[in-house]
Amino acid sequence: MVVPVRERALSYAILTAMAVLVLIPVLAGSLTAFKPQIIWISSPPVWFFEPTLENFEFVLITRQNWQHLRNSLIISIGSVVIALVLGVPAAYGFARFRFRGSRGLMQWLISLRMIPPIVVGLPFYAMFLFLERATGLGLRDTHFGLILTYQTFLLPLVIWMMRGYFVELPAAMEESAMVEGYTRIGALWRVVLPVVWPGIVATALLNFIFAWNEFFLALILAGNNTSTLPMAAGTYVVRARVEWGNLFAVNLIIMMPVIVLTIFLRQQLVKGLTFGILE
Amino acid sequence: MKVVLKDLVKDFKSADTVAVNRINLEIDQGELAVLLGPSGCGKTTTLRMIAGLEQPDSGRIYIAERDITDLAPKDRRVAMVFQNFSMYPTMNVYDNIAFPLHAIKMDRKEIDRTVREVARLVNIDQLLERGLRQVSGGEAQRVALARAMVRRPEVFLMDEPLSNLDAKLRVQLRTEIKRLHQDTGATFIFVTHDQEEAMTLGDKIIVMNRGDIQQVGTPHEVFFTPRNAFVANFVGTPSMNMLPGSLRIEESGRIFVGLPDFELELPRRFAAGLRGMSSHHVIWGIRPEAIRLVSAPGGNCVPGLVELVEALGSRDLMFVRVHGQLFGVIVDALDSVPAGEACLLHFDGAHMHLFDAGSELSLLLDEKTKGA
Repeated sequence: MVVPVRERALSYAILTAMAVLVLIPVLAGSLTAFKPQIIWISSPPVWFFEPTLENFEFVLITRQNWQHLRNSLIISIGSVVIALVLGVPAAYGFARFRFRGSRGLMQWLISLRMIPPIVVGLPFYAMFLFLERATGLGLRDTHFGLILTYQTFLLPLVIWMMRGYFVELPAAMEESAMVEGYTRIGALWRVVLPVVWPGIVATALLNFIFAWNEFFLALILAGNNTSTLPMAAGTYVVRARVEWGNLFAVNLIIMMPVIVLTIFLRQQLVKGLTFGILE
Repeated sequence: MKVVLKDLVKDFKSADTVAVNRINLEIDQGELAVLLGPSGCGKTTTLRMIAGLEQPDSGRIYIAERDITDLAPKDRRVAMVFQNFSMYPTMNVYDNIAFPLHAIKMDRKEIDRTVREVARLVNIDQLLERGLRQVSGGEAQRVALARAMVRRPEVFLMDEPLSNLDAKLRVQLRTEIKRLHQDTGATFIFVTHDQEEAMTLGDKIIVMNRGDIQQVGTPHEVFFTPRNAFVANFVGTPSMNMLPGSLRIEESGRIFVGLPDFELELPRRFAAGLRGMSSHHVIWGIRPEAIRLVSAPGGNCVPGLVELVEALGSRDLMFVRVHGQLFGVIVDALDSVPAGEACLLHFDGAHMHLFDAGSELSLLLDEKTKGA
């Protein structure tokens, strides 16, 4: 499609304005992360200064936020892996087989996704407590406990997204492989998964972002051993004051993986999110 | 390998598939059998049951005397070509053809030799490095054929493999499939709704409708001696002219069929099969090819008015109104009468068909097969 130059110029102008609007707070905050404490909240704001890493050093080492970073990584990656391992085959099943209640199940799954975390936070806490007393199985303040809890929100997303990709593909694709000497699992693995790979990448990334940013459930269910980066960020907003430089240093650490991953996987992501539209 | 279906049932409770009602069928070693019927007749369900992609509710399937009903698709030693799928999109042509060979852990050298040999057979040896986006629809379907052939299966199953191709390619690939069938000597079972395709390809045609086999026969048999009204109507383009009528058999043995507003005579040799059926209600039929333009009136000659003429090339299809009924008539293009003009039609009694109005079964089948 050929877009006239003037229209294109206009759309670029609007997009640039929007980008600037969105990026200014991010930029201002990120700059603060590199400011020495003395000019964190100087007024008027200082734009040019000698950048320092002392805030990062303080949060990561002095306040030991590297442990939170580690917890966040373990919990986010673990959540995504488990959600994919369980969700992708489930999505395939929903896409290819109709069984009693399959539609209802899909709707129930999406309804899970619509529940605000605050609704399940306390019941999960109560359940964990009950489990602990009844069976001695402790899930509070464990990585696995949070990973399990996050499945409530990740699995529906994985199943809904992946089902969409599978439905797009002709069933004859894996049926052909099945006649040609493979089991259904073999056909899925060798023929179908390579085709929906961009979709898996897109799904994984969206799920990673959810788990990585999650604050509320972690606040309720995590403890000293498992508290995550968003919780660490919260500790810099204390009653008396906000430690802006430290807060933004943690924020930057939180943002980095998401930004890097998105840039790195951009091609797969675009392919995955537009799956079936361009072909 | 001989393929035998015994009392095969797929009932309509299975949500996504068309039902098949207790069908029995034998397809001989090396035969090219065509399952022909309108969409929803159960032909694809039948094929998928042979492939193992659909499990029958009851009945058994045998290939070369071996009961394969409970085997997984991969263990049935059959190959299948699909209508709406040709090539694995993440692999190039070479890897597509090699794919079934990896399943049986063939060694690389052997795979390479086999792939190249098969690719040459279906004329895609120039395209081995290409991906799905760099081949045409016809080439992609050749890849599917190559993939089917590469394991040298004893039975080829083809589910409307040509339906998504344009007319010219379809005819071209049809010829190649026929050649492939002759070269491999394997048993082919081909599903189509296109009766021309069925006629040109098949050694044996199995006409299906609503989950039942209507007739099994050679292309000639299903065309000239249809067993019932459905087969008569479905096979042949343009389709057979059919009208309700009633029989009148004279003492002398002359047979007439009374149609709305006129009467036609059938040859006496049909009398044996129609004994005692005077005033019986029938469905009468005649193919457009069996109606002729004549210049002088005589027996079985009726005047009509040409309403429309469709050119078919060397021949024309005229639609002629006779006593309120519209008949399709095929004539040599040079003899064609223009629309709006009157003409005289002769209905050839020997080529008429009669079906019982209730059961729709042919009343002349015995006589006709005897004569043929």
